[in-house]
Amino acid sequence: MENILDVKNLQVSFKTFFGEVEAVRDISFTVGKKETVAIVGESGCGKSVTASSIMQLLPMPPAFYKGGQILFKGEDIVKKTEREMQHIRGSKISMVFQDPMTSLNPTMKIGRQIVEGLMKHQHLSKKEANKKAIEMLKLVSVPQPEKRVNQYPHEFSGGMRQRVMIALAMVSNPELLIADEPTTALDVTVQAQILDLMKELQDKLNMSIILITHDLGVVADMSDKVIVMYAGQIVEQGTVNDIFKNPMHPYTIKLLASVPRLNMKRDESLNYIEGTPPDLYIPPKGCAFFDRCDHAMKVCKDYMPDPEYHSKEHYSRCWLNHPLAKDVRREGSVR
Amino acid sequence: MAEPILSARNIKKYFNVSGGTLKAVDGISFDIYKGETLGLVGESGCGKTTAGRTIIRLYEPTGGELFFEGQDIYKISRHNMKPVRRNFQMIFQDPYASLNPRMTVEEIIAEPLEIHGIYKSEKQRRERVYELLQLVGLNEEHALRFPHEFSGGQRQRIGVARSLALNPKFIVCDEPISALDVSIQAQVVNLLKNLQNQMGLTYLFIAHDLSMVRYISDRVGVMYLGMMMELSKSEELYDHPIHPYTQALLSAIPIPDPEIQRSRKRIILEGDVPSPIDPPPGCRFADRCFYTVDECRKVTPEFKEVRPEHFVACHRSGEILAGTAAMTK
Repeated sequence: MENILDVKNLQVSFKTFFGEVEAVRDISFTVGKKETVAIVGESGCGKSVTASSIMQLLPMPPAFYKGGQILFKGEDIVKKTEREMQHIRGSKISMVFQDPMTSLNPTMKIGRQIVEGLMKHQHLSKKEANKKAIEMLKLVSVPQPEKRVNQYPHEFSGGMRQRVMIALAMVSNPELLIADEPTTALDVTVQAQILDLMKELQDKLNMSIILITHDLGVVADMSDKVIVMYAGQIVEQGTVNDIFKNPMHPYTIKLLASVPRLNMKRDESLNYIEGTPPDLYIPPKGCAFFDRCDHAMKVCKDYMPDPEYHSKEHYSRCWLNHPLAKDVRREGSVR
Repeated sequence: MAEPILSARNIKKYFNVSGGTLKAVDGISFDIYKGETLGLVGESGCGKTTAGRTIIRLYEPTGGELFFEGQDIYKISRHNMKPVRRNFQMIFQDPYASLNPRMTVEEIIAEPLEIHGIYKSEKQRRERVYELLQLVGLNEEHALRFPHEFSGGQRQRIGVARSLALNPKFIVCDEPISALDVSIQAQVVNLLKNLQNQMGLTYLFIAHDLSMVRYISDRVGVMYLGMMMELSKSEELYDHPIHPYTQALLSAIPIPDPEIQRSRKRIILEGDVPSPIDPPPGCRFADRCFYTVDECRKVTPEFKEVRPEHFVACHRSGEILAGTAAMTK
């Protein structure tokens, strides 16, 4: 598969009053054409920072790229100027934000918000852009689009606003859509509608998607590849089946176990992860999951393990999976 | 099962808004038994939070009767409510907004004790605070800190400690875990379950996370636009939903297993939840339902027991149950 995005050793930090916060610590991944890559993890693990840094949407300062590359079709986004980014943002890479209530301009009619991007990126006349805006609303199944373009965001329900957000992101047929918790603020029935819509549009427009979410059900539904992040690092990466059927990192295993399943007995108690993620002002030297891991060893405290490949696409970063720890794994009860 | 600790009969809560009457809760009836957890689910705007608040009379009800241990608490005067209020407490959704940032944890937890004048000396009160902190998995050292020094999960524990201060019998948990991360949600749910076993608490658990509700609740009620659509034991409800809305709602939950999730058939509802302002007569779900017949738009279906302990408000529940209902859409 041809890669559309290639993130190499990306490091993003924030300069704050108390010192530097290392939000993203050396991560690498690729996104293939028409592929859906899900990034999962707890709040503060760096998943949203990763997404925003691909769009250069982080406020700089305080944020800065500390190292690495973000290659979008061979060109390094990290090196782009703001001016160059304006040609990429919204036209080649688009983003759908979490909260449809706050990410639309409340003082602008829906139509004008869509038209704005069209006139800027595709140099359409106002009339053509208006026609296209109605077409886009039709595409995302907003009923009565001719009437709806002249309404304001407050006249739309949450689900309809999220459709408008998707329409906005889609206007210029982006090659990569970054969806940051696109359905978190929505009800399940509306979520199902929106996810189906995203899949349908992906097929129609041959788009790649980076999906950021903490809902593992949504991940199972949508993604081809899954990246599990913890404290700014990728701890495990693999195909959706690898991650759900054969998770190898203790964090992934625990994360999956903490979700209640519909077939669960009610007297079973839920698994949960004790403690909280480490502070990224002083990121731990070794494995960041050390204090919360049931299988932590001496080596984990001081050294972060390299990726251990379980198959061509599936790797985890855990000392338990190191060839030398084979016996530990067999004796221990990791799973 | 035991006696109901709480019986709601035809509870109504209307709000006057510009453009009409918003019928947030429009006549719901149910019992909650001692020591059980009743889950309440539904989409945003269906009135589940209003129902929770009206039940403990945080909102003055528009109509209905609510018997708590045999006494109709809607008939008690405001003044005489205070001793009754001790029996029911609430845990709120947002652990960031529901704790006063200018108060220490000790002050937060001691506030209900102070208001109800439970302890005479400060020392006794402090001991009770420490006891409560330990009960929810925190310790004495935390008493003098401020809410901003805690993580979301810990804050929710403080909220739980506060709600337990007066030894209540009944707690309304209004989306207590929706603001938390998955791994932390499980901590709080396990805590609530343990406390229930230890102290014989009764919960009304309001949430939109359907899989968590199934896990924590003995029985589950499904609301839609101010009305109760279905109520039954949780296994029964999730395995054999009868109301078309419940069926659609359950089929929309994404299951964290790629094989199962991708092979199942979802019922995709069309349209949005209609406005609760002066809703038309008949079944509230009629416009989006797959089984709508003329009767549905004219007569509001009765909430009746169609199987033992399984209540449904649907004209066609009999046919759906028998498997003979033909889709009309």
